[in-house]
Amino acid sequence: MSAHASHAPNRSGLWDYLTTVDHKKIAILYLIAGGIFFLAGGLEALLIRLQLMYPEIEFVGAKTFNELITMHGTTMIFLAVMPIIFALMNAIVPLQIGARDVAFPFVNALGFWLFFFGGVLLNTSWFLGGAPDAGWTSYTTLALNQYSGRGVDFYVLGLQIAGLGTLIGGINFLVTIINMRAPGMTFMRMPMFTWASFITSGLILFAFPAITVGLVLLMFDRLFGGNFFNPDAGGNVVIWEHLFWIFGHPEVYILILPAFGIISEVVSTFSRKRLFGYSSMVFATALIGFLGFMVWAHHMFTTGLGAIANTLFGLATMLIAVPTGIKIFNWLLTMWGGQIRFPTANLFAVGFIPTFTIGGMTGVMLAVPPADYQYHDSYFVVAHFHYVIVGGLVFGLFSGLYYWWPKMFGKMLNETIGKWNFWTFFIGFHLTFFPQHFLGLMGMPRRVFTYLKDQNLDMGNFISTIGAFGMTIGTILFVINVFVAAKSSKRAPADPWDGRSLEWAIPSPPPEYNFVQTPLVRGLDALWVEKMAGNKGMTPAEPIGDIHMPSPSFLPFLMSLGLFVAGYGFIYHNYVVVVIGILATLACMFTRSVKDDPGYHIHEDELEEKGVKA
Amino acid sequence: MANHHAHAVLPDEPEKATLEGKNKVLGFWLFLGGETVLFGSLFATFIALRDQANGGPTSQALFDMNLVAVATLLLLTSSMTSVMATLALHKKDLKKIQLWLTITVILGLGFLALEIYEFVHYVNEGLKMSTSAFSSAFYTLVGFHGAHVAFGICWIILLQLSATKKGLTVVTAPKFYLASLYWHFIDVVWVFIFTVVYLMGMIGGKVG
Amino acid sequence: MGAQAHNEEVRKPKVKHDGPKRHIVAFIGSLVLTALAFIAVAYEAIPSGFTVPFIVALAFVQAFFQLYVWMHMDQKGHEFARISIFAGLFVIMMAIIVFIFWVWI
Repeated sequence: MSAHASHAPNRSGLWDYLTTVDHKKIAILYLIAGGIFFLAGGLEALLIRLQLMYPEIEFVGAKTFNELITMHGTTMIFLAVMPIIFALMNAIVPLQIGARDVAFPFVNALGFWLFFFGGVLLNTSWFLGGAPDAGWTSYTTLALNQYSGRGVDFYVLGLQIAGLGTLIGGINFLVTIINMRAPGMTFMRMPMFTWASFITSGLILFAFPAITVGLVLLMFDRLFGGNFFNPDAGGNVVIWEHLFWIFGHPEVYILILPAFGIISEVVSTFSRKRLFGYSSMVFATALIGFLGFMVWAHHMFTTGLGAIANTLFGLATMLIAVPTGIKIFNWLLTMWGGQIRFPTANLFAVGFIPTFTIGGMTGVMLAVPPADYQYHDSYFVVAHFHYVIVGGLVFGLFSGLYYWWPKMFGKMLNETIGKWNFWTFFIGFHLTFFPQHFLGLMGMPRRVFTYLKDQNLDMGNFISTIGAFGMTIGTILFVINVFVAAKSSKRAPADPWDGRSLEWAIPSPPPEYNFVQTPLVRGLDALWVEKMAGNKGMTPAEPIGDIHMPSPSFLPFLMSLGLFVAGYGFIYHNYVVVVIGILATLACMFTRSVKDDPGYHIHEDELEEKGVKA
Repeated sequence: MANHHAHAVLPDEPEKATLEGKNKVLGFWLFLGGETVLFGSLFATFIALRDQANGGPTSQALFDMNLVAVATLLLLTSSMTSVMATLALHKKDLKKIQLWLTITVILGLGFLALEIYEFVHYVNEGLKMSTSAFSSAFYTLVGFHGAHVAFGICWIILLQLSATKKGLTVVTAPKFYLASLYWHFIDVVWVFIFTVVYLMGMIGGKVG
Repeated sequence: MGAQAHNEEVRKPKVKHDGPKRHIVAFIGSLVLTALAFIAVAYEAIPSGFTVPFIVALAFVQAFFQLYVWMHMDQKGHEFARISIFAGLFVIMMAIIVFIFWVWI
């Protein structure tokens, strides 16, 4: 793939990845980093479960337990599943809309490195005097200086840097999807995964600024003597709750919508049918995104906002069940009468549907304010959100990874290991979290590090921990599968699943310019339309010509490194370091603004040599 | 793409002549949508905390209407001059762009100087970041806006300097356009700041 | 990509470029609205309970004036600009309403 051209960047190995602006390589970076954080978060979860395996034991102790639950939640949400979603969006969305690249390749790389350094900053807290321990929600006043140590500073700074990366990543995808679609790819012909990515990016755009403000205010309180959340000086702790959940609730839709998109693609491909009710699916996705901003206070029913607020937010929450229900019925009706195959990708997708439905139903239960007073802060809530986030999102991500792995890496994941992966993870998941519903109803509060004997909590907790081992085995099997696939010499075909959308029209993995000729899209399920018309591939929309590519750049890495350094300066009150870090970042921005990037061209004869067809 | 345009005649609306330019303008608008939420969150916080003076100076005791009026006039006029720069951009007249942007920058600097003077004055009056919830919310909201102004000034100066070398091309035109959008947006935010923070903060004084 | 950029070059009717006139009108309008707000507060020109809604309304009018005239949000091709600003406003207006009524003060 070495492209000789105006400024042919001939880079390899690590340096290539440190400077890449290619969305497919950035996808791999997101996947590796997100995968490592996923393993870290999983390890933390396992330690939590081991501590709770038997009553009244001191396995990790109370302090470490608090750090573990905080870091487990924070890591999984911000540093594991979000990046893996971004990995799939980066790898697939440009291909699905027939684009050669994203709108802002440089910003795309910057988004990754900001997330990466933010995550690393947060996790170094383990080695620098203790991780944050105020819960993943970091409620004030608990998260203020009086009650929490330096760990929360790591939380505040790490999440600000990572959040910035996510925000610009979201803008990048919005512009990519709006402006970069191939000819004929109208909005209502976009695959569901692209639609879901579009809506998710929109939610990111409007939700992340709220958490950024919340974190800045918390930082001012902790580091500069601000009084936002200090009731002694007129501050108000409820402001943090509001700001956190104005972001926090859209965040769960940011997470789940891409999973919905993946499931829609997988179910339709493996039923060999077009998606049932495509336009209602699009409508439902948009409606969920819209309603997602009007329900945040259902996390605060017991705060004491009063009956009017609770009623309004409770009603809005229940409304969300309607578009979600539309989706579930659409998936079922897509499978109805289809020629269903069950490779691992589809197993995860089909496993997703009932599991997510259970999580959705407990969600409606929680949306009833009087009932919520019973469930609040109990293991019932823990069970609910793990059913939607693990049973929904993580199943969706596994499904997507099995489905698109050949497209991303050019190798197939092993199906036998895959099936073991699915069954151990699926059974382990239900063993872990199903009993937690009842633990919660029997009164076990969340976030406690131990419980007393003989209160009917022993058996449930024990089963739950056994289930956690099942999920661990499933995850390890996936990692093994990755290595098996990497070692195997068999190359994946361009279209292993008899796919329907554009990404299957090009080789696996795609060349760096994706499409030799931009394809002409003639309907929903663009590739399937051509297959049904008896064509070998897509019809090109342009003649073969030189392809312009953006130059790689080391600046995104340096820019993020600058903020990373400044972050430590803030945490340790060393303002020389802060200034150095921020100046480094500004210098990179200056360089980027002043030095134009002419990019380089891949010549058309080189495209021919490769014999790649659009 | 950029290269082969450079020597040709500059197209109409040069900021949107290339796909890169169009992407930038759209991306920037989306960014402004996010900024709306950012400033909105700060406004919401300020509104919730604006009466919590904690025994320290209140807004009614501190705010000076003349100072705010002058600051408002400066920023409003600078927004006007940056619109003139955009008009000059559409006429592809680099000299006029530079002229109008220079005026914009000078007005912006004047605004910033007033704000710094104001903050120093308040600190001397005993309103520090740590005085009360009101003071924290005030300095954060107005300071965030001030930081945006400062960043905008640096950005515009940088664009002006690099345009003296590069001239007006399809690469530099979108940058001018974005800087101008950004500057207007800062002014729009200021409209709400002078209303919600200053004017509403002074009303109580008269009534009480 | 390339194809789109080329199509764009053979531009359809030129965008009609408004002269400075409407921008200056907008400027004067903004000045008047600002002055009204300041006068309303400084001279207690209207009943005090009505002052806050009045000046907030003036602020919104002025903001939209500037967004539409100075930032060209009224022009074609700004559909997503409008969506973006209004979506942001929608999100934050709900938050502000909640912050006014439901933060426990």
